[in-house]
Amino acid sequence: MTARLLPSLFLAFFLACALVQIPFARYLKNRPVVEKIGYVPHAELLKMGSADQKQFMAALLVSKVLTYFGGVTQQAERKVVIPMDIRGIHRHLEGALKLDPYNMDSYYFSQALFVWDARNVPLANSLLDYGMKYRTWDWYLPFFAGFNSAYFLKDYRKAADYYRRAGDLSGSDLYQSLAGRYLQASGQTDLAIAYLATMEKGARSSAIKKAFGIRLAAFREVKRIEAALARYRSENGKSPVTVQTLISSGYLAPPPRDPYGGEFYLSPEGTVSTTSKFAFAPKGKKP
Amino acid sequence: MRFVMFITLKGFFRDRLVHGLLISLVFFAAIPSLSNLSMRQVTELSITLSLSMISVLQLVLAVFLGGTSLWKDIERRYAFSLLALPFSRGRYLLGKFLAVALFTLGVAVVLGCVTCAVVTIAAASYPPDRPIVWWNLLLAIGMDACKYILLSSFAFLFATVSSSFFLPVLGTLAVFMVGSASQGALEYLGSSEAATMAPLFKRTVSYLYYLVPNFSAFDLKVNAIYGIPVSGRGMILTLLYFVAYLGAVISLAMLLFSRREMK
Repeated sequence: MTARLLPSLFLAFFLACALVQIPFARYLKNRPVVEKIGYVPHAELLKMGSADQKQFMAALLVSKVLTYFGGVTQQAERKVVIPMDIRGIHRHLEGALKLDPYNMDSYYFSQALFVWDARNVPLANSLLDYGMKYRTWDWYLPFFAGFNSAYFLKDYRKAADYYRRAGDLSGSDLYQSLAGRYLQASGQTDLAIAYLATMEKGARSSAIKKAFGIRLAAFREVKRIEAALARYRSENGKSPVTVQTLISSGYLAPPPRDPYGGEFYLSPEGTVSTTSKFAFAPKGKKP
Repeated sequence: MRFVMFITLKGFFRDRLVHGLLISLVFFAAIPSLSNLSMRQVTELSITLSLSMISVLQLVLAVFLGGTSLWKDIERRYAFSLLALPFSRGRYLLGKFLAVALFTLGVAVVLGCVTCAVVTIAAASYPPDRPIVWWNLLLAIGMDACKYILLSSFAFLFATVSSSFFLPVLGTLAVFMVGSASQGALEYLGSSEAATMAPLFKRTVSYLYYLVPNFSAFDLKVNAIYGIPVSGRGMILTLLYFVAYLGAVISLAMLLFSRREMK
């Protein structure tokens, strides 16, 4: 090969690179989000293979999950709802916690996702119990577990125990009083709003903050309906059949709006529910 | 011996190793920004990234400096002229090793100072829930340096019996992986998940556990990141283990090198 040919050869490859670059970048940009969570090796294998980089690997796994979650949330806002790979996320977070059981980001994200989106509260609480063995100083973990126990599992005794622990660790009377309120099983929506507001305020990731913000907005609407419902009952001596009754009789203005696209309704037990179940509906399905 | 050590150290500076390390400072400069990706532990992530960076750099130094320092002298025949001087081969090897160890310690001190600055910046932007335990951070960097000095001794050991740099480099990497995983492997074999494994395999692994170096005791990253107290007794035992194991490996390397046929 003569030296004269080399510049031409370089130019040819350079042009080929430039030509491939655009479709290649487009492919990566439009690659389905579901592909991006990927595979994670078995936790024990990961632990042995990470050598002395366990905490770094854990941080990488959490950041991968966060990027994936951010992508799916972004798609949901564009009305393209892709089912989230909850099992994949669980595998990643489990791996991260095996590598670094102190990693707070993993617990925080588990709480944000497994409780509300996956509705797998026992799984979230088992992770929180695991974390409490290591992060013995952290009041956030019993605070999360207490909320889950009371609000979702209706296990008020356990919730009170968790809140007592959170109160002892934080030195705050608030959690002691929450423990008392949970034992009475009252004010569920108020407590959900207080909890979501705390979570939203502390969230640093924009995707997580947005997710909590949407949920908080939905619960504030529930609270508004509950207040109108209580007024209607006290003034009319009976319960309305539908949310529409509250609107048409002037108790509820403006009409409530579910940010998840669902419709609020009154359950036969007289509580406020929504057809969206506080989650974006999967693609092609109506909430 | 001091003369060999001084010459070797001078060689590291002549080979512009310091320039390479200075480039790594660019990565350190990016750590405060990268740490902001964390949801709840910005300062902790800055410590994680800094300690990981130090570990990676020291691993590269241990593998390549330790693995090629002696080999290069033999390959370029510098060793032959030096060995003509009135000191033993063992002292020559020890001088070279001490130069690598000293350089590793120096790098740890410099990068430790950089880490303190980086963590301070990250903590100022997002204060941690728990105060940073600086002593733990310095101890983690110090113990990491000890670990990589021990690893360098393996590189020297392999270099004494090898005529190419493949064995020292790849052998040291293998020792690093095995030494880092040995504790985890033993714990896994003792768990219920490994109940179905062959008893012979389990016994072999448990014997190997005592033979191969155990680097997990030197890893204090979790203590530095989350401010978890360090066991004083554990540190004393680890340092004793370090001195004993290092002495054994280096003396074996000196023995093998003194008997090596040099052509």
